[in-house]
Amino acid sequence: MQVQVPDGGAESSSSDAVPLLITDLSAIPAEPADDILFRHKAGLIKSARLVWEHREIIHSLAERDFRAQYKQTALGFLWAVLTPVATLLVLVLVFSRIHSIHTQGVPYALYAFVGILCWSFFATALAQGGTSLLNNKALLSKTQFPRECFPLESMVVNGVNTTFSVVPLALLFVFFGRAPTIATLWVPLFVLIEIVFATGVTLGVAGLIIQARDLTMVLPLVISLGIFLTPVIWPFTLIPTHFHVAGGHLVTGGHLVRGVAEGHHWIGGIYVNLQVVYGFINPIGPVISSVRETMLLGHAPSWPPLIAAAVGSILYLIFGYKLFKRFEVEFADIA
Amino acid sequence: MPTLPDGSIRAEHVWKKFRADKTTPELRSHLLRLRNSRSEGNRRQYRWVLKDINLDIEPGGTVGLIGSNGSGKTTLLQILSQVTYQTAGARTVQGRIGALLSVTSGLHPELSGRENVFLFGAVLGMSRAHVRKSFDEIVEFAELEDAIERQVKHYSSGMTVRLGFSIAAHLEPDILIVDEALSVGDSNFQQKCLGRIDKIVRSGTTLLFVSHDLAQVETTCERAAWLSDGVMRASGSTKDVLAVYRAAIQKEAGTMASKEGTVSVLKAEIEATDGGPLRTGCEFDVRLVLDAPKTENVRFLIGISIGTSFPIFVVDRQSTMPAGVFEIHCRLADLPLPRGHYSVWAGITGFPEGRRDPLLAWQPLTSFDATGPERIRPPQGIMVRTPIVVGATWQVG
Repeated sequence: MQVQVPDGGAESSSSDAVPLLITDLSAIPAEPADDILFRHKAGLIKSARLVWEHREIIHSLAERDFRAQYKQTALGFLWAVLTPVATLLVLVLVFSRIHSIHTQGVPYALYAFVGILCWSFFATALAQGGTSLLNNKALLSKTQFPRECFPLESMVVNGVNTTFSVVPLALLFVFFGRAPTIATLWVPLFVLIEIVFATGVTLGVAGLIIQARDLTMVLPLVISLGIFLTPVIWPFTLIPTHFHVAGGHLVTGGHLVRGVAEGHHWIGGIYVNLQVVYGFINPIGPVISSVRETMLLGHAPSWPPLIAAAVGSILYLIFGYKLFKRFEVEFADIA
Repeated sequence: MPTLPDGSIRAEHVWKKFRADKTTPELRSHLLRLRNSRSEGNRRQYRWVLKDINLDIEPGGTVGLIGSNGSGKTTLLQILSQVTYQTAGARTVQGRIGALLSVTSGLHPELSGRENVFLFGAVLGMSRAHVRKSFDEIVEFAELEDAIERQVKHYSSGMTVRLGFSIAAHLEPDILIVDEALSVGDSNFQQKCLGRIDKIVRSGTTLLFVSHDLAQVETTCERAAWLSDGVMRASGSTKDVLAVYRAAIQKEAGTMASKEGTVSVLKAEIEATDGGPLRTGCEFDVRLVLDAPKTENVRFLIGISIGTSFPIFVVDRQSTMPAGVFEIHCRLADLPLPRGHYSVWAGITGFPEGRRDPLLAWQPLTSFDATGPERIRPPQGIMVRTPIVVGATWQVG
């Protein structure tokens, strides 16, 4: 039906004459038979293991971006620290006069900076990682290592840059004469939740953006809106924990019920902890809130929303990775 | 399926389709499709770029992939090296692949040569330890000892290519896949690259090699496969496949009829007088079959160029052109060209020329590969513009 396969191609390795095979063009069907269609099978665990084997590439690509970022600048790597410090100065100037937001005695600049730090890690991961496949087009169609390396690499760069923001955070503590409490030891857990969430969303967007290029336009909008929808400059506790749902109507028993402490009236029906719902949808909310509760206030984190955030972020990761793997087949062709 | 030994490549009934190029934005074309017809419009537009490709390479084999631009060679290499995926069929590749699909795409212009060695090495699949070990060798091979700390954006294009290739050349894969990477750099460096590839192949590495330089394929590969319009037209020993390929190319070029001018070309051929391959110093014949509307006094011109640039030399003849179909046979005593790929050009002007349009516009009609010695490199900084005198005898009619 098609090209005659060289008889015993494996045996003809010696100097035997290789037969000349001419294809009979008329014997080639118009379309391949259904039973030989290629199905891309890529289990998430197996793929993740493959990525781990290629971690050196992530390292090299991240190093590339990090070095290239500061090449030919007079101050070089110093900028990695200077940029967040400069951003901080602007924030302090803007926020030092705000007293109307309830921060439980924490200086507002410090309060807001923690939120901004958590948010900007996510926002940058999304902005850079989401478009990383497009930005690495040239490599995408010429190299064969796992495609996950590109978004992950940009997350690593972003992570390193964010780490440098610890310097201005420390400056702020010194400036206000405070110290992080012992409960700060919880923070790595929150960071982990955020990383899992950011990785999931970034992978999903990175894969999807190749198919739907319009996302490149939508992404900046989402990011600039997101900062207001996330408790970055307002406290997470503004979201009610006992939201009353009855008869298909949303009835707020005394408007927003602020925490259990203020007391509320049982009017029948179902109460929903909106903080948990929010945390599930946007895990960054509880993450920011928990960092504030522990590092700044010395409390234990509020567990229900945090657990929702942890579960949510794992689901984001699984779903995002699945999405990425699904579209992977076409990356090199249409990127 | 039994496991193949390391270094094997096998493609069985491989098909690949690409979406047709989109000219309208997605949403609009979706809406249009809805409006037009639901039944036939549901299917996306696509075209097949590879059709039913079968290829079997045993460990240590060297295969050259030839074919014109757009025939699917690069796509096949991409599928075999798993840069992209086939639409149908099976691909089995056993062993570590070194895919050299582009020598410069992995280089970052802002980084220094040294930094790029590590970056590109990693991208190609070398471990950092391996790069560190072969670093000096890589730099020496690229002849960039003095420039290695400089940013790559300040490199000349030749230096960039040398850096890229020499990193890739220090891979130690079971299978080396090379896509036209050698058609770059000056001929001295090309020679060095070929030498390096030869060395890699001798160490038992499987080689799959794409090139337009048929002479290069001939010297490097034992076997060849010819791809045309996504179909594997022929495969076998390099000598046999090249013969089939050349014959087909000449046939195609011959049927290329010109639209400009008043004389049309029915056939254009070039061959060595003794029937052997075109080679340096051989006597050769150019044969044109033309169709002219009326008898006229004209000047015939035939020239040879590298690629489609300006001709290296031109021969001419004033004569009376007969009406109707006629043949021109021009025998040239000596092919004064080194190994390479050349085009044959022809044109006809009225005589005396006056201000008239040419009767046949100056155009390339066919191309050929010449075998023979390498071009001689002049001392650095000297450009060669050799004037060539070629003896010629003509027959018109």
